[in-house]
Amino acid sequence: MTFKATDILKPTRREILKISGAAALSAPFVSRAWAQVTEINMLAWYGHGEADIVGEYEAANNVKFKPKYYAGGDNMLALIAQSPPGTYDLILSDGEFVQQLNAAGYIEEMNAADYPFDDMLHSDFEKFPGHWKDDKLYSMILRGGHLGVSYNKNSVSAEEAASYKCFWKPELKGKVGHFDWHLPSLGMMSLYNGNAASLFDVDEAAWTKLKETTLSLRPQVGGFFDYGGTFNSLKNGEMQAMCGIGDWITGVLERDGAPVASVIPKEGGIQFTESYSIGKGSEKADEVTKFIQYMMSADGQVKSAQMKAYPGFCVTKAGRAKLQEVDPKEAARSGQVEGNSNDPIALINEGRIHYRDIPKQQSLEDWNDFWSEYKNA
Amino acid sequence: MRSSSFLSGILRGYTVLMFAFVFAPIAFSVIFSFNSARFPTIPLESFTLHWYQTIWADPDVWEALRNSVIVSLCTSVLATALGFATAYTDYRYNFRFKSAYLALVLLPPTIPLIIMALAMLAWFSKIGASGELWSIIIAHTVLAAPFAMAITRLRLNQMDKDLESAAWNLGASEWRAMREVIIPFCKPALISAAFLTAAVSFDEFAIAWFVSGLNKTVPVLILEIVQGNIDPQVNAIGTLVFMVSITLVVAAQVFFSLRQSKSST
Amino acid sequence: MRQPPRYLTFRVYQGVDLSQLNPVQNASPTERRMDIFALTWRLPIIVWQILFFVGPLLFMVAMSFFLVKNYVMQETFVFDNWSKMFSRGYFRDSYFLTLFLATLSTIVASLVAFPASFALAFKVSESTRRWALFLLIIPFFTSYLVRIFAWYVILAESGAINAVLSTIGLRPYTMLNTKFGTIVGYMTLTLPLVVVLQTFSLANVDRNLVQAAHNLGCSPWRTVYTVIIPLAKTGLIVAALFCFILSFGDFVSPYYLGGSKPPTLPILIIDTTKSGQQWPRAAVIAVVMMATLITIAFAAITLAYRKRASR
Repeated sequence: MTFKATDILKPTRREILKISGAAALSAPFVSRAWAQVTEINMLAWYGHGEADIVGEYEAANNVKFKPKYYAGGDNMLALIAQSPPGTYDLILSDGEFVQQLNAAGYIEEMNAADYPFDDMLHSDFEKFPGHWKDDKLYSMILRGGHLGVSYNKNSVSAEEAASYKCFWKPELKGKVGHFDWHLPSLGMMSLYNGNAASLFDVDEAAWTKLKETTLSLRPQVGGFFDYGGTFNSLKNGEMQAMCGIGDWITGVLERDGAPVASVIPKEGGIQFTESYSIGKGSEKADEVTKFIQYMMSADGQVKSAQMKAYPGFCVTKAGRAKLQEVDPKEAARSGQVEGNSNDPIALINEGRIHYRDIPKQQSLEDWNDFWSEYKNA
Repeated sequence: MRSSSFLSGILRGYTVLMFAFVFAPIAFSVIFSFNSARFPTIPLESFTLHWYQTIWADPDVWEALRNSVIVSLCTSVLATALGFATAYTDYRYNFRFKSAYLALVLLPPTIPLIIMALAMLAWFSKIGASGELWSIIIAHTVLAAPFAMAITRLRLNQMDKDLESAAWNLGASEWRAMREVIIPFCKPALISAAFLTAAVSFDEFAIAWFVSGLNKTVPVLILEIVQGNIDPQVNAIGTLVFMVSITLVVAAQVFFSLRQSKSST
Repeated sequence: MRQPPRYLTFRVYQGVDLSQLNPVQNASPTERRMDIFALTWRLPIIVWQILFFVGPLLFMVAMSFFLVKNYVMQETFVFDNWSKMFSRGYFRDSYFLTLFLATLSTIVASLVAFPASFALAFKVSESTRRWALFLLIIPFFTSYLVRIFAWYVILAESGAINAVLSTIGLRPYTMLNTKFGTIVGYMTLTLPLVVVLQTFSLANVDRNLVQAAHNLGCSPWRTVYTVIIPLAKTGLIVAALFCFILSFGDFVSPYYLGGSKPPTLPILIIDTTKSGQQWPRAAVIAVVMMATLITIAFAAITLAYRKRASR
């Protein structure tokens, strides 16, 4: 028995099956074609896996970086914890979290001889806190940047910006933004309270005072932003000052001609440090090592300093020299010239810079918790 | 109601305004995708195709697109098949707990995506399936199947109840009647459902963001740019995605109405 | 092209009552026969939803009793997360804020949409209505994120609206990072859907009743209040409910247009998930959100159908 109508419809149905079958078959084929290059899974802050950093290297070495971006060290740890071991080959972490990565067994030991430790711009970078354990290297410092007062020149003067006090300026009510991460913002409040070098090592009394100081800033606050939001709100003037950031954001906007700047105030500034580690159980440790070596070379350091997403200063002498040679403008803007008053290395030597750290006497959770409370205050 | 023609005029004007509100952001994103300013502000700078060139040359965009296409194709096939099976069950059978059965099927779209995302992330990690492309496919299928079910069910409503039984009476097995009567009859609805479920999957970002791991889809890539470098690329990507989706929807619409008019002649 | 007439003739020839063979009629009282055919269509979705819908949700409830140590989840059964979250002032504040914003969004969307839906249902031609509804579907196929990003440019102090305001000599008005911004975002998400659902329910109102009210001398306003709204009530409430659910669960608008100031529950879920692998605490928030939504949905549906049944 036949139904004429369905006979007419049948071929179309077969065609659909054929097409979907072809689609199903070609899917793995496509991924095989991609797999001919070595894929390196990277866990990093936004921008580290973009073409301006890795593009040239990818083309020359037949590798492909697959980046997963995070914001904040706790976010990074959570991402690693929730993936099977060996998921991430290359981990770019903040310096202060290397210790935790190591304690949790998430990273591999590295061979110090592979990297230019004899060429560091500052002796601190050679044995950076937490990067070594029992004389074994676990993480390679790549770059750094300084956090201080970031402001719009139209509403905050350079004199005012010389102290964190400017965040409380009445004219800035509703115009002070926060980068939505507790460590840098609370760190600055701690500096403002005069805790100086022990900014992350505060006892119970100082912690209570730190919370009070922070809460007193709350009426000034116009919003809490991720990287993109911080960017946009400074650029379009929604926020006239920003707490918790530094040149890594205003630098990008400055390059674009926005009237914004970052300075290290008299209470001192915070350094963020970014370091590469090799993920535990990675099958591509050799490839990763090669890439880290490239990024530590003069060319790699220049790429990092010029990074489109956000700038960071060179940590090797060769890198700095090369930057001055190929991009004198950026070198001058970011103070990476000897004798410049903003020279990040000089600032470290003057003792005005404190390396960002995790809280010593409270747990990260306490800080986190307070941060949530603050946002809701 | 001639006396209220003035009121009608106001209502119409109001409706146009409301449409302007709905379409303003879409129009702006299209305009700014051609604007040269790195940070979109008023007034406009010069016309440029730079952002389109940027995304064209960016392998990450292509890979995200590949992922999105795979995910929405697979979701579309799975969700349409499941939706059809469920619609047919609802159409033909009565059984105990049928309302529970229907609730089970139709509830997912009423759960906020962020909750589904958290639940899926935790569940997939638990059963060791997180971070894979097919984790997104599974989650999207749960989300999209109810839409496929609804569309197919509406189509089945239009079917003459005797059609299937007539086929049986003519000696066709249930299977054969399904193959040669029901499915052909539902075909326009199935195609619509396939397009719609593909579109639902193509634009979903919350669940995809939570469970995707390293396998980014286009909306997750957009989210990352918005959270990260926030540049006009997102407008270019958004405009292209918009064009593709609209083409699909219009195609589905045209196909559907052509079929309808053909079959009614 | 199709064959139904042939079957019908065939039925007459045979003289059999085909409906006797139709399982729809005879299945319900004594359906013992659980044949493979029926199971093929019934089972897949049950298995699928239990594995990938009920499973995850139940696991999430269970997870709210787990503990996290050193970023690793331990499958325990303790009430720590619950007592912790409930003892936190910010969680309570956030809860009421989210409830407030979603309610506000629902009211605003329903009110803003109604005149337009009314116009589409009663004041335009059939084809205009079809086109309008088609246009309203379009936003569903554009990236919500991209549309929110576009609002940035429109609402910013240096943005389009303030540019217009400044030409007529007004001072810039702050719209971003305010509750106003959040509501604009919610409207972007929900307004098209609310208009579509309202238009459907209004268009289904019996015109004769409207005409009758009019003939009896009922003013247009009174007709709307006493005839049209009660008749379209179910659809209007369902539209409002969807608006509430979508707003309640959205994290994009309050974050990007509201400046996360203060955070809503969905933002809190993301924050909690991001910081230190605290999924169990995020689960507590999610479970509370679900319970709230179920209660509200139940109330709304009861409200939507009750009066209608007594009519």
